[in-house]
Amino acid sequence: MAIKTWELDSGFKDEIMSEPGGENLTKCFQCSTCTLGCPLTEIVATYNPRKIIQMSLLGMRDEVLSNPDLWICLICQTCTARCPQDVRIADLLSAIRRVAEKEEKAGRLKIESHRPLFDKAFEHQLAKYGRLYDMGLAMEYYKGKEGGSFFKGLLTMSKDYKDFGMRMFKKGKMGPKAMFPEKVKDRAVVKKIFAEFSEG
Amino acid sequence: MSVTKLAYYPGCPSETTAMEQEMSTKAVFEKLGVELVEVEDWNCCGAAEIEDPKLVHALNARNLAIAERAGLDIVTPCSICYYNLERANRALQEDEGFRAKLRGIDPSLEYKGTIKARHILDILMNEIGEAELSSKVVKKVNLKVAPYYGCYIGRPPTTAFDDPDDPVLMDKLVELIGGECVPFSQTKTLCCGGPLMMTRADIAFAMARKVLEAAKNAGADCVALACPLCGMMLDAKQPDIEAELGISIGMPVVYITQLLGLALGIEPNKLGLNKNAVETKEILGRVK
Ligand code: SF4
Ligand code: SF4
Repeated sequence: MAIKTWELDSGFKDEIMSEPGGENLTKCFQCSTCTLGCPLTEIVATYNPRKIIQMSLLGMRDEVLSNPDLWICLICQTCTARCPQDVRIADLLSAIRRVAEKEEKAGRLKIESHRPLFDKAFEHQLAKYGRLYDMGLAMEYYKGKEGGSFFKGLLTMSKDYKDFGMRMFKKGKMGPKAMFPEKVKDRAVVKKIFAEFSEG
Repeated sequence: MSVTKLAYYPGCPSETTAMEQEMSTKAVFEKLGVELVEVEDWNCCGAAEIEDPKLVHALNARNLAIAERAGLDIVTPCSICYYNLERANRALQEDEGFRAKLRGIDPSLEYKGTIKARHILDILMNEIGEAELSSKVVKKVNLKVAPYYGCYIGRPPTTAFDDPDDPVLMDKLVELIGGECVPFSQTKTLCCGGPLMMTRADIAFAMARKVLEAAKNAGADCVALACPLCGMMLDAKQPDIEAELGISIGMPVVYITQLLGLALGIEPNKLGLNKNAVETKEILGRVK
């Protein structure tokens, strides 16, 4: 695919670099150490963080933000540990994901991956309780996955987690501490943190 | 031994899916005479799901501030909690402006930056130390072990406390308690797949399968690890992985604190060895 130079967005790299974690984007000199060491490439052969970086540097905004591979990074930090240029690739990819989420919020992009939905559901548990409530997280996530239907979500979740739930129950891991949320006492301050630092 | 008291950050799965790690950590530290004082009213570290670093730093500022007021370094058995606590710690120590902002949001978020966050493996090996540990070992854990480190023990370089390519702290601990480490260098720092467990189970399962099969092929009796997300993927999900991929693995997976606890002569049930999803009975028979 030839690059259409007239469609390049020269401001894209600055947009990424202004997100926390994206600061070192322009340090990349394309050595490909990141991709060569990435454990994902053995499972998803086309996965290529170096290429995502080069496309970002060139300003291929739409192609980068709509790339489904953005959402499968494991944040394992292998790339970050090995990059000779301190690009901090794992953080950089996270910064690009946040740009994509903003784009979706503005109605200009549709993200196919369920990962933003999951991350948001996770964040909502923390904002509410200050701690992770697994059941609440799973319910909200499955509801979202099933187009907002609580019952459909519950059904799919029960199907996916029947064996796992039973296994945990047998090991005594499904007691009240798992069934009900553990709450931080000082939720007022947790609320303040989210009010200040979360996009909601 | 230089350390006698630490602030303890259990992390969210400590009372549910990772209760055996919590039980064994507490039992081991009690046996070693190191007091763990739970961080009063701690909140979640943000795990792998909160992507905005500012929010991660703010959430952990609260935990760090509580420990700092108690005058104690913070220790956690979870690799992700450790990474979040310590990266927040570094960011806060370097950024007076951000600390001032947090103070302004709420006085309870006032953090001066005087403590450190540590992982239990780091404390066991680098503070308590091999000599002290050896002197307390009463049983030989006669097992072939695949020491599995995952992501945040040797990476990223800013917070790592072991080698990124060939970490050794757990290997040394296994040998110290009479075990033998199988050749596992190619696999010990691979990711377990955990962060994609809910959104791309196919990839997550493929990752976990690699680790488990490598352990099996290396002739390990069990995998030892030091993170509840790794424990979730490799142990709790192992039967799901076997069913989904039509394979049979049957590899016991234990927390390193469970193995150490056995060597220190602690009762298996006190170490939660009846809580691991894959049966541990067979390996218990090898502790003499
Ligand atoms: S390892 Fe670093 S410098 Fe090399 S291609 Fe990847 S990001 Fe660029
Ligand atoms: S952090 Fe993401 S891109 Fe980097 S090596 Fe791990 S999976 Fe690959």
